[in-house]
Parts: sequence; structure tokens; C-alpha cells
Amino acid sequence: MKTSYKIILTALICFTAICLHAQNKFFTKSGKIEFLSNAPLKDITAVNKTTAAVLDSKEGTLQFVVLMKGFEFEKALMQEHFNANYVESDKYPKAEFKGTIINNSNINYSKEGTYTANIKGALTLHGVTKDVTTSATIKVAPAGLQSNAVFNILLSDYNIKIPSLAKNKISNNVKIMVDSRLDPLP
Amino acid sequence: MKRIILFIILVAVLAGGWYAYNEYNRKNINLAQVQPTATLTAAQLAWAFEKDSASANKNYLGKIILVSGAVKNIENEGSIVVLRQDSSTTSIRCSMDSTYITKTNSLQKGQSINIIGACTGYNSDELGLGADVILNRCVVQQNK
Repeated sequence: MKTSYKIILTALICFTAICLHAQNKFFTKSGKIEFLSNAPLKDITAVNKTTAAVLDSKEGTLQFVVLMKGFEFEKALMQEHFNANYVESDKYPKAEFKGTIINNSNINYSKEGTYTANIKGALTLHGVTKDVTTSATIKVAPAGLQSNAVFNILLSDYNIKIPSLAKNKISNNVKIMVDSRLDPLP
Repeated sequence: MKRIILFIILVAVLAGGWYAYNEYNRKNINLAQVQPTATLTAAQLAWAFEKDSASANKNYLGKIILVSGAVKNIENEGSIVVLRQDSSTTSIRCSMDSTYITKTNSLQKGQSINIIGACTGYNSDELGLGADVILNRCVVQQNK
């Protein structure tokens, strides 16, 4: 074989290998995370639409980063109190989750379908890191993945204090809903 | 005299109640009506966070700022506008106000625009996705 052909062939193999390797990672920069506090006197909900996340399908790892000031509330005063008094976002601007998909080998990322992923990891919020386990749904489609998860946390686990006057309006048990499309990392 | 005092107290209580009611129900103001606290180019904003994110957080986190730059990308059916940096690898990601999303369809890649938004912070390249400064509730400043 001519040398130039060998070079082209080698380059093509390397390029394909790089492409295939890149297909292992899926990402988003506009993932949606919503939380809901369900208390006797009121429900409080807020949504963050600028969550960044990476899923490594080969390693079975998942990482999310959320900017706390990115949570949008219907009422401005609630948003201000959330940032200033509860999550203290000037001091702790981000929340992060780093975890692994325990049953990653059961998920076929190249075959369309809906899979249940068992996830275990560490959530860092308000400067405190705690272990979290949850299950998520990963839907594999030609364009990428759709991931959804719901889990609960206790604000007190993260040193987020609810004053006694607000106990009927803010629940210590908060539901977190993740809804994110993950595209292949180019 | 007593009646006058009682009347004043009543008015004060009603006024206080009215203020509390309005304050409680106050919604986030549309940023098209707000004067930004800082005006800078996308490159300047990116550089501020790249160089010293703690100091940049102090200056810009939670503040309403006007950023000028060229459109690199429009994502999520117009709900995200990304401004391009020629001089750095940090992008400015602008999450558009819900009232503005339909208007972003008229924006072109490479177009120079001014965006007003609330700075929600900086993601350095911790996930290997490139660094971003993120703005929320963004509106495109109308040409005067």
C-alpha cells in the first residue's frame, strides 16, 4: 500500500476512534431542575433552566452543577428570601451533584428505549455534602438522551434553617425534580 | 382628638397592610424597564470572571447588567442566546425572559446586540464543557 494511503487510513481510524469515544459523553447546559416545598399553608416552587450536566455512559458517571441564583420564583420577595436567608447564595453560589449509575451495564445507550437508572452520589448544597440515592428514567433516542428524576431532601441536612414562624409555609422536606435532555458531546 | 388619633392609626394600618400585600405579591420586574448597574462587553465580563471569580461575583452576582456582544448561537428554540468571545473560551449564556423568547427568532448569528440580564453566576470549566457566565430574565435592548 502506498505510504500516503497508509497515512490517510491511519488518520481515518484515529478520527473514527475519537468520534466513537466522544459518543460516550452526553451533556446539557440548559437542564431543568425544579423544587417543590409542600407546607400546610402554601406550596412554594421554583425552577432553574440553566443547569449544566455531563453523563459519561462508559464510566457510568453523572455530574450536575446548578447556580442557586438561577432559581426563578413567581414572587420576587420569595426569590430574594430564598437567596439571602435560606440558601445564602452569595456565600454558596452553586449546588453540585456527583454520582454513579450503579446499574450502568443494564443501559444500552445505543439502543432506543426507556431505562431505569439507579443513581448514588453526593449532593453539595449550602456548603454541606450528603449522600443521595435515587432512581432516574433515561430515555435513549436517536438525537440523545432524556433524563428525569425525582427525589426528596431535608433542608435541615444541609444546615438550611426554617424559622419557627415560617414552619407552616416552608416544608423541611423538599421535592426535587430533574428534567433534562442530554445531547452527545461533540 | 381621640377620634383623630384612631383615624390616623386606621389609615396607617390599612396603608401598611396594602404595602405588605403588594410587596408579598410583587413579581420580578421585566428587565426592559430597569436601569442596569453595570455596562460591559461580553469579553470584559468573561475576563472579569476568568481572572478573579470571587471578585467578579462581588461585583456582578445578582446584579442587573448590560452586556454587548455578537451572537454565537441561539439554543432551545430561542430561549438561550449565547454571546461570543473572540478573545476567550468563556461564553455568556443568556436565558431569555419568557416574554422575549418569540423575538429571538429574528436574531442572526454574528449580530451585535445589547442584552440586559440578571447575573446568576459563573460555571468554570469543571465539567469540561467550557466556561460560562450565566444571565437570567434577559431582554434585548431595543435600539433607540
